[in-house]
Amino acid sequence: MSGIDRRDFLKLAGAGGAGAGAGFMMRESTKHPVEHLVPYTSSPEEFSPGIATWYNTVCSMCSSGCGISVRTREGRAKKIEGNPSHPVSQGRLCAHGQAGLQVLYNPDRLTGPMARTADNEDLLPITWDEGISQLATRLGSLQASGQGDSVCFLSEGVDGHLAALYERFMAQLGSSRLVHYDFTHPRTLYSAIEKLFGDSQLPYYDIGNADYVVSFGADYLSTWISPVNHSFGFGSSRKGVNGVRGRFVQIEPRMSVSGASADDWFAANPGTEGMVALAIANHIVNEGGYQGDDRDAWVSALAPYSPASMSQATGLSSSVIIGIAESFLGSQHSLAIGGGSAGNNTNGVDTLVAVNALNYLVGNLGNEGGLILNPEPVVGSGSGTLRATYTDMIELAEAARDGRIQVLILSGTNPVFNLPDAAEFREAIAQIPLVVSLSSFIDETSSLASLVLPSHTYLESWGDSFPEPGVGFSIGSVSQPVVSPLFNTRATGDIIINLAQEIGLSAAFPWSDMEEYLKEGWQQIYARGNTGDGTEGFESFWNDVVRAGVWGETTRGPSPEGLLEGVIESIDVAPPEFSGSSANYPFVFHPYISDTLEDGGAANLPWMQELPDPLTSIVYGSWVELNPLTANELNLEEGDIVEVESPHGRVTAPVFIYPAIMPNVIGMPIGQGHTDYGRYASGRGSNPIQILSPQLETETGDLAWAATRVAINPTGRRVEIVKTGGVSRELGREIIQKVGADGADADGADHAAELSSIPVKVVRS
Amino acid sequence: MSFIDTLRSRWQEYRRPGYYENFDYAWTMTIDLDSCTGCGACVTACQAENNIPLVGEEELARGREMHWIRIERYWEGEFPNAKLNFIPMLCQHCDAAPCETVCPVSATYHNQDGLNAQVYNRCVGTRSCAVYCPYEVRYFNYYNHEWPSPLDQQLNPDVTVREKGVMEKCTFCIQRIRQAKDAAKDDGRRRVLDGEVQPACVQTCASQAMVFGNRNDSQSEVFKSMNDPRAYHVLEEVNTAPSVVYLKKVEVNG
Amino acid sequence: MANQDISFAQINDDVVRSLVVTGRKYYITLAISILVTFTCFVGPWFYQLRYGIGAAGMNHPTVWGTYLASFIFWIGLSHSGTLLSAVLHLTNSEWRKAMYRSAEAMTLFSVMVAAMMVMVHVGRPWFVHWAVPYPNQMEMWPNFRSPLMFDVMAITTYMTGSIIFIYMGTIPDFAAVRDRTTGWRHHMYVLLSLGWRGTDTEWNRLHWAYTFLAVLIVPLAVSVHSIVSWDFALSVVPALHQTIFAPYFVVGAIYSGTAGIVTVMFVLRKYMKFEHLITKLHFDNLGKLLLVMSLLWTYINMVELFTGWYSESSEEYEALNFRLFGFYGPLYWEMILFCALAPLLLISKRFRTSFVPMLILSIVINIGMYTERFLIVATSLPRQYLPDAWGMYVPSLVEIAIMVGSFGMFTTLFLVFVKIFPSISLYEVKETLPEPQPKPQADSGAP
Repeated sequence: MSGIDRRDFLKLAGAGGAGAGAGFMMRESTKHPVEHLVPYTSSPEEFSPGIATWYNTVCSMCSSGCGISVRTREGRAKKIEGNPSHPVSQGRLCAHGQAGLQVLYNPDRLTGPMARTADNEDLLPITWDEGISQLATRLGSLQASGQGDSVCFLSEGVDGHLAALYERFMAQLGSSRLVHYDFTHPRTLYSAIEKLFGDSQLPYYDIGNADYVVSFGADYLSTWISPVNHSFGFGSSRKGVNGVRGRFVQIEPRMSVSGASADDWFAANPGTEGMVALAIANHIVNEGGYQGDDRDAWVSALAPYSPASMSQATGLSSSVIIGIAESFLGSQHSLAIGGGSAGNNTNGVDTLVAVNALNYLVGNLGNEGGLILNPEPVVGSGSGTLRATYTDMIELAEAARDGRIQVLILSGTNPVFNLPDAAEFREAIAQIPLVVSLSSFIDETSSLASLVLPSHTYLESWGDSFPEPGVGFSIGSVSQPVVSPLFNTRATGDIIINLAQEIGLSAAFPWSDMEEYLKEGWQQIYARGNTGDGTEGFESFWNDVVRAGVWGETTRGPSPEGLLEGVIESIDVAPPEFSGSSANYPFVFHPYISDTLEDGGAANLPWMQELPDPLTSIVYGSWVELNPLTANELNLEEGDIVEVESPHGRVTAPVFIYPAIMPNVIGMPIGQGHTDYGRYASGRGSNPIQILSPQLETETGDLAWAATRVAINPTGRRVEIVKTGGVSRELGREIIQKVGADGADADGADHAAELSSIPVKVVRS
Repeated sequence: MSFIDTLRSRWQEYRRPGYYENFDYAWTMTIDLDSCTGCGACVTACQAENNIPLVGEEELARGREMHWIRIERYWEGEFPNAKLNFIPMLCQHCDAAPCETVCPVSATYHNQDGLNAQVYNRCVGTRSCAVYCPYEVRYFNYYNHEWPSPLDQQLNPDVTVREKGVMEKCTFCIQRIRQAKDAAKDDGRRRVLDGEVQPACVQTCASQAMVFGNRNDSQSEVFKSMNDPRAYHVLEEVNTAPSVVYLKKVEVNG
Repeated sequence: MANQDISFAQINDDVVRSLVVTGRKYYITLAISILVTFTCFVGPWFYQLRYGIGAAGMNHPTVWGTYLASFIFWIGLSHSGTLLSAVLHLTNSEWRKAMYRSAEAMTLFSVMVAAMMVMVHVGRPWFVHWAVPYPNQMEMWPNFRSPLMFDVMAITTYMTGSIIFIYMGTIPDFAAVRDRTTGWRHHMYVLLSLGWRGTDTEWNRLHWAYTFLAVLIVPLAVSVHSIVSWDFALSVVPALHQTIFAPYFVVGAIYSGTAGIVTVMFVLRKYMKFEHLITKLHFDNLGKLLLVMSLLWTYINMVELFTGWYSESSEEYEALNFRLFGFYGPLYWEMILFCALAPLLLISKRFRTSFVPMLILSIVINIGMYTERFLIVATSLPRQYLPDAWGMYVPSLVEIAIMVGSFGMFTTLFLVFVKIFPSISLYEVKETLPEPQPKPQADSGAP
């Protein structure tokens, strides 16, 4: 090979090198990420590879208590579905329930106990023994010195035996400060039902069998009390399960998901929903031929509420009110429900009393398609009545500021996020010497803790649930772990039992863990006798309940005979009061529970962040809703950043032009604006709760979160709102086709044929 | 008969409407717009079942949504008479699917069950199917998506995780259909019974707006539902013969 | 024809000089174009391969973007060359002879660049061979119903045809150059000229085969762009689903290709010193052709607008509205200005025979034509049937870089070409000249 000289060699080497380099780059750029496939050499006993195992348990994403079935493969939870035999969920589930898997597998979960050695220091890992004994020592010394009342247990709303365990624990410590706090808790509805029927509870609204439902502000299909059950009922009713296609009316200042699905949507002035209800009642009593014995009392109580006189205050014309009243009276199964912003004005309880009185007037109490009261709670006193109001929380904050609280145990709840800045809760917590968090995540509240003892998620722990609205009869379900714990965490119940034993309360806490405690508790339910067929002994009953995921009795609670005495006479809805003068703050602020993020608790779930908001298609952000007229007046367009200013603060967010909100109302979803809640929630959007005025509902002392006035200040900045939708108008393309129900359209004959399959009742021509 | 004649007759038979009635299954879904509440449970259920990646805010801002089923919303009128209508939009599994003809490598094709199948391994990523789809329900993997640990433990082992450069779309939860068929075979049955298989979206729909089944079985729920007089196809004029049937919304006046 | 003053020998001198003598300017230009190719095309492409096609700006409704626009543009540019050369050969247009070699080269390189754009466009280019029918173990064939499949077929056939066409026409010139060069060039041309000796039989067969290929290539060229148009027109996308698309694309292709030839001829004339070979006559004739094409193109555009408007359907209306007055509206009017109005200047013979204005116009036309291709993709896909799925598309930096880089790649290929291929047909130009008179110093040129 004499032909190759030095130059040729170098050239060839260079060419070869370049070629190899290009090849390497090509390979580098196209290769797949490295994956490891590790098969089981000997598979664990509980499962066989490739075969799915289903476990029935209870969803804890909200307080509705839907029964769920979790599909697991190779020991990992893969999918959550509704438990078909559970009467609340009936096999169905909402988006939040589906996203429960991301609570379990959230990358921001706390992986083990941690402690701060000094203030302002990072949390460092410790062992469980250290953590438990550190807390037990503190609690023990407080208990021994009779200062048990300086221990506060602040938990999210829980029910069943876990709630009972908390109660027992706090009682043993000698503390009365067991506080359950949920922002979304329908406290005013409890009070309204108590006022009407004498029993503080959530009634069951049988939407599925109703054929005319009037909802006053309650977003029953998306965020209110038990959305899955309500949606199931909505679907059944719309399909004419009860012989007639259900018709739905929604009265609220800003169209919610339920409003969008309603046949008729009416915008009443914020806080006047109760007056609308009384005007409807007035018409029913005076013109509609109400024949009850108490008619005279009604007539005199409702005298000031004639539809004509109410149209000015409510913004609804008297013909609309009369139309609703006549349909309400004329339908077989009419039902009135109220909640949401209507229940969270200063006149919240009165409003809900007025709304639920309508149910009494059409006589649907305890009937199919009506308002059904639930029987006595199976365990304890029922969770709903335990929940703290805003006033309770303020009191707690004051106690903390005064140094009356030595130890705060947090579990699952996030009051720093869910209370207005005016409550100064963060500052109050900072005064407490020892803050312990049992939450599974770091959030705005638990980030203030100096001792973190993370608990299991609901998919890893034992528990039970007795859904509060129920379905009109007593039901309960056992929640079982569906996967082995992912991290070095412990079930909340186990932590409490362990703590109690460390403190020396073993006598009151003789159980080794939550499961044992739970079984003991269920012995009493077994003793009630409703154990199903062929059950032999408690063990077999227990196994059946755990396997089926549900236990229930079919006996209804006592249906109310009538209203409490004096209710009719005292029925009255005061005009709502708003914080801030209408001159300085021209708009009523309407914060609402986000359809995707709830009250903010779901903001750390990426599926929920990526689920487009049903009404606006916005993802990953906050926005301020303005009526097109208002936006035009203020010269604002979608994406213009504005400052929403209330008497108690300001938040900024981009404008979204929303066609179905009243011109004098500013809507804003609750849920975003987290500062410290994992990678998916932190630093996103803004939190409208911050700027709420501490305006109270007059009877319950709960926060009237729909009673703040605001001003809109343009900032001159703009962003592109991130949303998945394009242009939300059909442009005459007939994408969503409709059929008129009453043959009033020009081609009515065709419609009659099309409607043959669905029993539509023609209400009026 | 000559070869050409045979070919022609086969071709004609294949193109004839009703060709799919000769098979055991023709999977069909009906969506009752009168019951749909637009809540989005179907979207998340699908995301959980089918390993649909999280694309992140930045990508969504660039319009790269990734949901096999999405809720479209259309406003009518202005305040105070504004109305909002929802329509879930997913792959329509058209019997005359434009996407199937355009794929140069046959990565998308019609299977014997009347499903519009997508073979991820075969896809070269020309994205022409997404252009040809009038319903715009085909979604492209612009990147390899990541599931930060331990989110990856939720991934459904029955469903492929798609890599960058691949088109994906609703499969009517074909993995569930396969399992139901296997189960039927194990039981010695020829066909899957009505109601034995439901895609994740239908399964979770709380307002029971969706029905899924085999339209070749005249006893099935879906057969009854699709023969409802309210039934219609979206974009009927494009003549794609979809397997998703919508039921008209009922408008009550007065 | 051509310049009557030049001799056969001078032609050979000029052309061989262009192959052998290389100035600094050439190297600088080559270096720049290679640099552009690497920094703007290769680099961004590797980035895109590594991280995914998300590096480009495409999104949910608009899954096609500038890559496809560039693809159509380069395919269009390719049209002029071989097609024009073949048509003019068949019609015995003498003036073609000085320019057809470079026009054909342009064809070849634009097709190559277009093929590269396909590779850049697809999500998984490492599997793109699946679109080619080849026997394989899996017994998987491409989808013969797919217009994209037709495209692959048409483009590969066209590319093959063009390669053979340009190569066959150059064989005598390779032989001529072979006899005038030494060293490695000599060896190369020995191989390339396939032992051409210039016998009568050889000349006869060359002419026969050349004409045969020319006849073959004309319908092929028309079919290629028709098929490219079908990628769009066979969809049901409003504003793309049009019967006029095939002629629209063919006319557009010839239009932009002709303009491309004007640009290339100007550059060759100026920098390869072919002033006496490429003359005003060529520019005049090409100018006429451009004028005809621009009028045709304008007519088809009007038809497109009219049918959209006449359909009275919301889909077509909205798509047209978006194209004319939407985000990209200014680009649309820019295109009309550049491709429909500016070329009206060609009515003037003085304009047609002025070199610099012609160069500017040709570049302007191609900018307009690129815009046209871009608008086809970027204004129809975001406005389809379901308004709630409407979107918006803006090209990303990577896309723009690759678009620029594709010009660099084209230039690089062309620069390499002019050093290997005689960029002017020696023998055919000579055919247009008067018989040379023997001179004592004359070189013995072949043939």
